[in-house]
Amino acid sequence: MNDTSKTINFDHVSIERSGLTIISDLSVALPDQRVGIIGRNGSGKSTLVRSLNGLLPVSAGSLLVHGVSAEEGAKKLARVTGFVFQNPDHQLIFPTALEELSFGLRQIGVGKADAKVQSLALLRDHGIEQLGERPVHELSEGQKQLICILAVLIMEPKLLVLDEPFSSLDLRTRVALRRKLEKLDQQILFVSHELDALSDYDKVLWIEDGKLKQFGVPADVLADYQAHELSGVDLHFEGVARA
Amino acid sequence: MISLYMAGNSWAHKLPARVKLIFLFVLSLLIIPFNTLWFSAALLVFVVALYATLGRQGLEKVKVVRPLLWMMGIIFLVHVFLGDIEQGIIAVLRLLAMVLLANFISITTHMEALMDAVEPLFRPLRVFGMSPRRISLAVALVIRFVPVLLAVYASLQEAYKARTAHANSWRLLAPFALHAIKMTDHVAEALTARGGADGFDRDKK
Repeated sequence: MNDTSKTINFDHVSIERSGLTIISDLSVALPDQRVGIIGRNGSGKSTLVRSLNGLLPVSAGSLLVHGVSAEEGAKKLARVTGFVFQNPDHQLIFPTALEELSFGLRQIGVGKADAKVQSLALLRDHGIEQLGERPVHELSEGQKQLICILAVLIMEPKLLVLDEPFSSLDLRTRVALRRKLEKLDQQILFVSHELDALSDYDKVLWIEDGKLKQFGVPADVLADYQAHELSGVDLHFEGVARA
Repeated sequence: MISLYMAGNSWAHKLPARVKLIFLFVLSLLIIPFNTLWFSAALLVFVVALYATLGRQGLEKVKVVRPLLWMMGIIFLVHVFLGDIEQGIIAVLRLLAMVLLANFISITTHMEALMDAVEPLFRPLRVFGMSPRRISLAVALVIRFVPVLLAVYASLQEAYKARTAHANSWRLLAPFALHAIKMTDHVAEALTARGGADGFDRDKK
């Protein structure tokens, strides 16, 4: 059996969103360090990952994230799961990067002075100490997203979920951020439409219509996904391809 | 662009936020009894001099009042109509001085320090079940999201201009409101993901 303290375990999980069942009866164990999640827009990827930090409750089945059960409440889940969103402008709450990082630490009970010292240290580790005092709205999109990721990492989550965080970034910035992610000790769950970015991952999870379509090594899943999605693509807007 | 915090290490940055706020409070009371032209003018000169101590970049920030000038103009004209030009000048000088002084504090004080300084004032609201931390967080959010909302409005203007050749219309107000409301959902999610307004440590107690 897998060590449950480092595993995500979905057991017959269903998730509802505004009264509709988006994920239904999904079971999968994810002990792997790097897991990619793929699927069409509206397939339920975002809904699925939002259960991991308690943003959406599990309506049926049971969910275990690094030893924390969903039944223990949303806050417990949020403590083990760090979440990076698509748009950094929605995630950055404070006017400067330093405050943004300190906020996370103060949320977990670190004192004000210590929070500032630790935040500066983390910025320095990543060579961006000079950004700490700059207003976040003046930073580039890539710099903003890096600050978002660091603001989550500073709270030392065990799992890092990224929900299409690089979709508005240029190639160079994406690769630079991906390299930073590669070095992390945390388990990473990466929701993405950039299939090539997932080819080095341990496993890929393919979600379709709220169900698990395929789960396996990237070479298999990515190839099958591509073949499946591109067949009948000309009829896409007529709605046939979606059926 | 709205000028907010200006990175720096000046004397004004080092001054505790509470001292600055008290200074602002005292000065804004002082202008009531000292209702003279020379005092108001001296006050404005003093405040602009404060900006000058921050260097050239600091002095640039005085431009923040530019969008308010038309309003100052109306206030002045009202006084002219009422037959008191001197009071009109005093009113405008005072307003400029106070706006600039408040802005001076904004650009030299970290949001967090400002929140900590203001939080005790909200403590009486506990009686009504409101947490002071929430209110000070709300203040921070307002300041952070002014530039974000302005950018959203600018992108709507762009989309509108691309198809109508007009830069602005009242028609943009409804979509702007919808964008803003949608954005609050996202921001609430992001805040909840990091422990919500009350943080994690509170749960343990």
